Amino acid sequence: MDIRVLKPADIPHVQSTNITNLPENYFMKYYLYHALSWPQLSYVAVDVSRPKKTPYDPPKIVGYVLAKMEEEPVNGIQHGHITSLSVMRTHRRLGLAEKLMRQSQRAMVEMFGAQYVSLHVRMSNIAALRLYRDTLGFEVEKVESKYYADGEDAYSMKMNLNPLREQLEADEDYADEGEEVGDVGKKEKKKEDGEQGKTKRKVKLGRGLGVGELVERNESSKA
Amino acid sequence: MAPPPSPQMLGSKERSLFTQVVKNYENKQYKKGLKAADQILRRSPNHGDTIAMKALIINCQGNAEEAFALAKVALKLSMKSHVCWHVYGLLYRSAKDFEEAIKAYKSALRLEPESQQIQKDLALLQIQTRDYQGYVQSRRAILQQRTSWRQNWTALAIAQHLAGDLTNAERTLSTFEETLKGVPPKTDIEHAEAVLYKNVIIAEMGETERALEHLDAAAKNNPDRTSVMELRANHLLTLGRKEEAAKVYRMLLARNPEYRDYFEGLQSALGIEKSDVKALKNLYGDYAKQNPRGDAARRIPLDFLEGGDFREAADQYLRHMLHKGIPSTFANIKALYPDTSKRDAILELVEGYAAGEAPPVANGSAEKQPNSDKDLFKISARYFLAQHYNYHLSRDLNKAMKYIDEAIESVPESVDYHMAKARILKHYGDPKKAAEMMEEARELDLRDRYINTKAAKYHLRNNDNEAAIQIMSKFTRNEAHGGPLGDLHDMQCVWYITEDGESYLRQGKLGLALKRFVSISSIFEIWQEDQFDFHSFSLRKGPIRAYVEMVRWEDHLREHPFFSRAAISAAKIYVKLYDQPHLAHGSLINGMNGDHMDSAERKKAEKKARKEKEKQEKAEAEKKDKKAALDLNGEPKKEDKDPKGELLLQTSEPLLEAMKFITLLLEFSGRNIQAQQVGFEVFIRRKKFLLALRTLIASHALSPTDPITHEQMFRFQQSLSKLSEPLSPKAMQVINAEFNTLLPASTDLTKHNDEFLQRNHNSASHVQGYLKVRQLIDPSSKEKNQQDIIRTLALDGSSLEDAVRGLDMLEEWKAESRYKDDYLVAAHERWPEASAFKQKVD
Repeated sequence: MDIRVLKPADIPHVQSTNITNLPENYFMKYYLYHALSWPQLSYVAVDVSRPKKTPYDPPKIVGYVLAKMEEEPVNGIQHGHITSLSVMRTHRRLGLAEKLMRQSQRAMVEMFGAQYVSLHVRMSNIAALRLYRDTLGFEVEKVESKYYADGEDAYSMKMNLNPLREQLEADEDYADEGEEVGDVGKKEKKKEDGEQGKTKRKVKLGRGLGVGELVERNESSKA
Repeated sequence: MAPPPSPQMLGSKERSLFTQVVKNYENKQYKKGLKAADQILRRSPNHGDTIAMKALIINCQGNAEEAFALAKVALKLSMKSHVCWHVYGLLYRSAKDFEEAIKAYKSALRLEPESQQIQKDLALLQIQTRDYQGYVQSRRAILQQRTSWRQNWTALAIAQHLAGDLTNAERTLSTFEETLKGVPPKTDIEHAEAVLYKNVIIAEMGETERALEHLDAAAKNNPDRTSVMELRANHLLTLGRKEEAAKVYRMLLARNPEYRDYFEGLQSALGIEKSDVKALKNLYGDYAKQNPRGDAARRIPLDFLEGGDFREAADQYLRHMLHKGIPSTFANIKALYPDTSKRDAILELVEGYAAGEAPPVANGSAEKQPNSDKDLFKISARYFLAQHYNYHLSRDLNKAMKYIDEAIESVPESVDYHMAKARILKHYGDPKKAAEMMEEARELDLRDRYINTKAAKYHLRNNDNEAAIQIMSKFTRNEAHGGPLGDLHDMQCVWYITEDGESYLRQGKLGLALKRFVSISSIFEIWQEDQFDFHSFSLRKGPIRAYVEMVRWEDHLREHPFFSRAAISAAKIYVKLYDQPHLAHGSLINGMNGDHMDSAERKKAEKKARKEKEKQEKAEAEKKDKKAALDLNGEPKKEDKDPKGELLLQTSEPLLEAMKFITLLLEFSGRNIQAQQVGFEVFIRRKKFLLALRTLIASHALSPTDPITHEQMFRFQQSLSKLSEPLSPKAMQVINAEFNTLLPASTDLTKHNDEFLQRNHNSASHVQGYLKVRQLIDPSSKEKNQQDIIRTLALDGSSLEDAVRGLDMLEEWKAESRYKDDYLVAAHERWPEASAFKQKVD
């Protein structure tokens, strides 16, 4: 199983993996929106040992993490958000979800100077809760009632990325270059286009609005 | 005739009203806009620009036809108005007729060369339609109007890059860089991206040396660490600076030890030959030690190790995985199975693990988990063996069943084990039992969508579309227009729509089948259109390497097997409709095969079906009346006037409809032999002999012994010899010359066919191909063919699929029932569980 960054060509199978595993689904454009806005942040797990049936078989995706940066961070504090993460049942217990998350988190810090990463998880999803809390070190920030379309509540979780940043800075290749990365990203705020993505609306955003709406709004505000 | 009025001719009140209309349009205040427009038109009924704006608004309200009519009126009144032409272009753009839109924009631009908006709209369409030269021109014009914007420079560079002009693309990027005062800070992500983009362009020019220099000079502090390292490792390796390359690959592996590309890079950088097993073993051994939780460094050596080394490594790997009870162990191992010695070694190892001791008998549902790690290990081994014997290269379904039953006995609540059992039942050829078993698995974990998905899929394989959608509806957004199925379409759930279509096809419900395959095609159209917004979005957002990659991917979007699978089926249905036009009404005869009925029977059945249909339609109409459906944006959704695909079936030109799919298949999936073969079926019926020949040549090159191609060559030869009108001498000449290389004119066809049999007599599908051809050459051989097809059932390598196809051949030949009965008896003997052969035996 390869772990590597998500490419546009992976999207049809990422979309399939998502709709096979999870009730929160998105159309292609929403995946493209992630892949073309923060191409460093989304990762896939690929079954590379699968024999090809035709010369055109795309890589078989067995897991993915779809991630983004918050477009309008409060107080300008850069932070990432996990839009969706899933691994096929047939490929669970290989630690793929954790590996995907760790790659994404490092990219959030390196590329965008993220201070923390947030996500939502169904309160009933014990396995995911365990991964986020026990394995990765997320903390429950609050409960968002009726966050999901079917009325289920969500834990809103957060993970501080500063320890990761310190660890990365301590790494040799960083020491070599000897530059502070602490304030990376502060400047981007003014460049970010306005997504109104309030947490509550996320599901609807993916399903109902997608990039089309985002893009149109951006265009009209720029015009 | 009076000169056309223009905005200047409006009074001042109307002028400000006109501004108001434009604003209303931009803010989507359509009603207000229309009101203001009508106010102007009361004073100046012939004001073209206002009429044009009105058309634009009406179009946004969903009335394209009226909009076009109005826009034409506007243009007639004001041929010299860029507004009217611009609007005309926008209407075409929204109707997806990009070619006409481009023409209209260009007319508008000739009248108003300074308009940024028109220029931009034109540019978007040019890149969408891949008019690279036009795009370069437009981007240059846009840049000239505003040279201070970085994104205008970047956009021109992208245009040049995509147009293949790498030198100028680089120059454009450099020209802007030279205007920068000092090096932008590390936090300037747009700059960081532009630097890496330039590096990619330099590398694409083949100037690796310079690319490396550039990277080292300009990207030292680039925040996209992964990209910088990957580029650097690549450049160094290309330049043969192996030691440095190895160092970078090691850094990459330290960050991500689960990526084979990095390992392969490191291997080359270290100069390790693929044959140097010892060195490879050491390399991966080191990485395995460094990464106790890693998989790649442990799994990769199984690919290159042989003999005792392999056995030892496989033993370690399998023990590790099975002790942890990792369900994907077999999935991760089966790629080794084409190598029979490895397959045997693995089987021996795992059988050893499983035989260690009798499995503990679980007491009802008292135990949730196996007692101990040791039990888990043994049960996992049995699960592995079940999968092993279920796999097509090592299939022994009875053994598979024995092992999975043991595993289930030990862990009765295991979803995975029940799922495996359902798969085994599927391979037995009993889709009904398989679906029931998958249903059992689903009930063990109702909250898991994965197993829900599998259960729905198995219902479809069992041709129970109702049950399938029922199951799917537990996770879909059922308030969507069209209910669960509507949601699955909205969410572009390709697998479901495809399987649903294939299921209907198996049932002979061609309308619904075609409907689904056409839906897949529409989803691909949406995916192609999806890129449109990103032509501008990505420039603003900045990550242009990803954008360029997206553009290149979209260029061959339709080679995706999601598309070809549906397209091949759709084309086959159209061919069927051409051959048997009465099937266009066949969907009325639910599932019955019209072939076997005499006309009175058919009429009766059709009448009955029509009545049923009317009843159904009435019920549906009543249901619909209740409330108008809204789409995702809360706007009324367009009604699907043909939910069952009946109108699709009634096409008068099935072969032309098929061509919509064939053209895309042959353009994008030419190396898929099935695409070529279905192409042949369409061309030969359209009497396009040159094109049919081209597919034969392609099929033959892909697989010289393919039995379908073998048969198609004969049919081609026959068609040529039975032409009602001779082809032009020139066409004949080309055909003869080309076809001669495949099947020389002097060939004794019978002999050729016999030789084909001799070379492939152990393969059922080849023997079938042989028999089909024998039937073609000599229809009087039917008797013999009907007998001989039964013999294919006894061949060692015969598969269930082969046997089902053989049965279809008997149907095609309209064989007498005693032959079919004999065939069914023999097939049932070999595949006693398969439902396809059960019907007449019981």
